[in-house]
Amino acid sequence: MNARKATPWVAGILVMTGMVCIGLRIRTQHELQLASGESLWRLTYAVKFQTEQAGARLSLAIPFDTPRCRVFRQVVRYSDLQPERLRAPLLEAREIDLVTRHAGDQNLTARFDIHLSRRARFSAYDSETSLTAQARAEYLRGDKGIQVESAAVTETLQSIRRETPPPDDLVKRLFEYCHTQIVAGEENAPADAAGAIKKKTGSPLGRARALVALCRANKTPARMMTGFVVEESESLEPRAWVEVWNGRRWEPFEPVNGYMRELPYNYLAVRRDGGDIVRVTRGSGLESHFSVLRLPSGPGAARSKHRSLLGLVDLTRLPLEMHEVLSLILLLPLGGLVTAFFRTMVGVRTFGTFTPTLIALSFVFADWRTGIFVFALVLSLGLVSRSFLDRLKLLMVPRLSVVLTLVVLCIIFCVSLLDYVHLTPGAQAVLLPMVILTMTIERFYLTSEEDSVPFALQLLAGTVAVAVCCYLVLRWAAAGRILFMFPEAHLFTIAVLILMGRYTGYRLTELWRFRDFKPRGPSEPPRP
Amino acid sequence: MTSLLKMPASPAELRARGVLGINRRNADFVLPANPRSHYPRVDDKVLTKRICESRGIPVPETFAVIECQGDLRRFSDLVRERAQFVIKPAHGSEGRGIVVVAEHDHETFRTSGGELHSLADMCYHISTVLSGLYSLAGQHDQAIVEQRIVRHAVFERVAVGGTPDIRVILYRCVPVMAMVRLPTRESRGRANLHQGAVAAAVNLRTGETFGGVCKDHFITEHPDTGATIDGLRIPFWDKLLEAAQDLAAALELGYVGVDFVLDAAVGPVILEANARPGLAIQVANRCGLQHRLDFLDTQPPEALAPARRAELVAALSEMK
Repeated sequence: MNARKATPWVAGILVMTGMVCIGLRIRTQHELQLASGESLWRLTYAVKFQTEQAGARLSLAIPFDTPRCRVFRQVVRYSDLQPERLRAPLLEAREIDLVTRHAGDQNLTARFDIHLSRRARFSAYDSETSLTAQARAEYLRGDKGIQVESAAVTETLQSIRRETPPPDDLVKRLFEYCHTQIVAGEENAPADAAGAIKKKTGSPLGRARALVALCRANKTPARMMTGFVVEESESLEPRAWVEVWNGRRWEPFEPVNGYMRELPYNYLAVRRDGGDIVRVTRGSGLESHFSVLRLPSGPGAARSKHRSLLGLVDLTRLPLEMHEVLSLILLLPLGGLVTAFFRTMVGVRTFGTFTPTLIALSFVFADWRTGIFVFALVLSLGLVSRSFLDRLKLLMVPRLSVVLTLVVLCIIFCVSLLDYVHLTPGAQAVLLPMVILTMTIERFYLTSEEDSVPFALQLLAGTVAVAVCCYLVLRWAAAGRILFMFPEAHLFTIAVLILMGRYTGYRLTELWRFRDFKPRGPSEPPRP
Repeated sequence: MTSLLKMPASPAELRARGVLGINRRNADFVLPANPRSHYPRVDDKVLTKRICESRGIPVPETFAVIECQGDLRRFSDLVRERAQFVIKPAHGSEGRGIVVVAEHDHETFRTSGGELHSLADMCYHISTVLSGLYSLAGQHDQAIVEQRIVRHAVFERVAVGGTPDIRVILYRCVPVMAMVRLPTRESRGRANLHQGAVAAAVNLRTGETFGGVCKDHFITEHPDTGATIDGLRIPFWDKLLEAAQDLAAALELGYVGVDFVLDAAVGPVILEANARPGLAIQVANRCGLQHRLDFLDTQPPEALAPARRAELVAALSEMK
C-alpha cells in the first residue's frame, strides 16, 4: 500500500483508537464497584476574599493521605490567581500557595475526591515512625492558645499526676480529664487551654488545646489536628482533635466525642499544626465554605489497591503539585499543530521550527506585558551587541556563548530594573527560553546581513505571529483540562498531523506568489 | 506596480496551469524519488565534485580543500600560484559564504565586488566556514578553494556583478525545465532569486532564453542594464543537458536541480546539485511543472532510456 493510500487509514485507526479509549474510560468511571466498607466523597472548598493590591497570598491546606483515606483526584479552579511553586509535602501541612495578580475580588474552588475505607488498606505516604529533636521541641513548645507554662495548666497536671501512680496511663487520665471535667461550653466558652481548664468549660477547640497543653507540660509531644468529619453536608465545619506521641507513633484523641487512640474512619486530617485550613495574607474578607458530597463509585478508587495499568492513564490521581505543569506539557503538541498549520497550510516562514512554540510557552508562565517588554529589550540589545561582536571576528561557538551570556545578564538586569521601578515581576515572568533567544538573535543578524533587513523582519514577524497563535492555544485552559483528563485525545492530534503531513494542496502564500499565473490580462507579454 | 495590486490566484486557476506547490513537490516528488541516504551526494559539494570528476563531467578545478583550522597556515602557500580563485563552504546553500577573489598579492585580496581584504580577514572567513556557520545544520564544514569561472561573453550585457547560472530540473533523469539566473545590483552579484536576481526561462530544446521574471513579476529587460534578456542562445546547450542527465543518473536522485555556469573556455561546468530545487523556475517559464512531471510519470520505463530522451525533451518543451 503506498503512502497516499495508507495515510487516511492510519489517521482513521488513530481516531478510532482514541475514541475507543476515551469511551471506555468514561464508561468505566460509572461501572467500578467498591469493596464493602468503602466509599467515595467529594470535599469542596469555596473560597472568597478581597485584596487591595496584587501580591496577596492565599494558602490552602490539602487533605493528607492516611491508611484509611486517599485523595484520588484533585482539581483547583481559580481565575486571577497565580500558583506559586507548590510546596513539597511538609510535616505540618501540604499546602498550595497562590498569589493574586490584581487587586479586587478573588474566587477559588478546590475539589478533592476522596476514597475512604473502614479497614486501613492504603499505604500512607508519610507514616512517621520517629521524631527529630527539632520536631520534639516544636511539639513541646507553648503558644498563645496553648499556655504550657500557665499556673492553671501546671497545677492541674500536678494534681492529676498525684492521682495517677506511675504504672497507670497518664495520657489516658489527662484525656479523661479534658473529656469529662471540662464540659462543652456555650458559644463564648474559652477557646484557649488555660481558660478552659480554669473555667472547666470550653469550646471544642479549647478542650483540644487543654489536652495538648497538659501533655506538653508533662513533656509528652502533642499536636493539634485540624480536619473534617466526612459526611454528606452542605456546610461543613472544620474539626479539631489532638495527636499525642507515644514514643513510637502518633495516637489520636478527640476530647469532644471521647474517641481515644482510635478515630472513626471518616476523620480526615488536613493540618497538623492546628492552623486554619485556608489562610490569606494581605487580603481581607476571607470567606471559606466547605461541603462534602457522596460520590457514586468512580475511577481511581478501586485502583488504589490493585495497581492496574489503566491507572497510568488517569493523571488526576497524581499529586496536585504536578497538575499545572503536566497540563501545560500536554498542550505543547497543540503548539506543534499550530506551527505545522502555519508552515504547511499557510506558508508562513519563521526562525527555526519550534522557536515560536517555545517563546509562547515561556509567555504562559510570564505576565505577557512583562514578557514582551523583556523580550523586545533583550532582542534589540542582543542585536546591537551582536553587531559589535562581529568586528572582533570571533569563532562561532565562543561568539554564540558571549551572546548567550549577554542575554542572561540582560534578563537579570531587566528584573532588577523592574524591581527598581516597583514593578517586581515573579521569577517565572522572565523565564524566557534564553538559548532560543540567543539563536534567534544570531539568525536575525545573519539573515539581515546575508539577505536583507526586510527579509529578516519578515521572518521575525512570521515568528511572532505564530508565537501569538501558539500562546493563545497554550493559554486555553479548557483544552488543558480535557487533555489532562483524557491524554489519549492526543491520538486525534497525531491523526490531524498525519493528514496535514500528506496535504499536497497549495499553501496560502503560494496563491499570492504565483498570482501571475492567473488567466492572462492584457499587460502580460505573450509566451513565445 | 500593477501586479502588486493583483489579486491572489485561486487554487483552481493554479491547478489548471499545472503550477506545482511546495507541499506537492515534497510529498509527491522529493520524498518518493530522492532517498534520504543519497542527500550527502548533493549537500556535500566535495562529494558532488568527486562524483562529477569520476564520470568525466566538467566541474571547476579544485585547488584545495581546507578541512581544519590547522590548514589555515598553509592558505597563503595554497593560493600563491593562483591569480584568481573562489572560496566556498562544502555544505553551503543559496550562495552563502562564497568569496570570489579576482586578484591578490598574497597580502591583500580583492574580491570580484571590489572589496579589499587582508590575509587575516581571509583566514577568519575560512575559519567561520569551517566552524559551520554556513552549513545547513551548523555542523563542522570544509572550505573548497577552486578555480574562478570566467563569465561567458553571451551574458556580458545581462549580468551585473556576478556570474549567471543555469538551472536544469530533471525528473527521472529527463530534463523537464530550465532557466538562467542573472545577478543584479540588488542581488549583490548573487544569482539568488529571492534577493532580487532576474530569471529567464530557457527553451529546453533550443537553449534559447525567453520571458523573464524578477521577484515573481514578469519582466523582459534586465533591470540594471536595460538589455533584453529574451532570445539569448546559450552555447553548448546539448552538452549541458547531457552533463545534467549524467549527473542525475550518477546521483541516483529522481527529482533534482542541477546548476551550471558557463565558462568562457570550457563551456558548461557544474557548480552544484540540489535535491529540493525551488519552484520559481515555474514563474520564469510561465508554465507549471505539474503537467510535465505527470507526463513523464505516464511514460513506460523504456521510453525514458537515454537514447529516447531527445524526443521527450522536444515534447516537454512544447508543453504549456
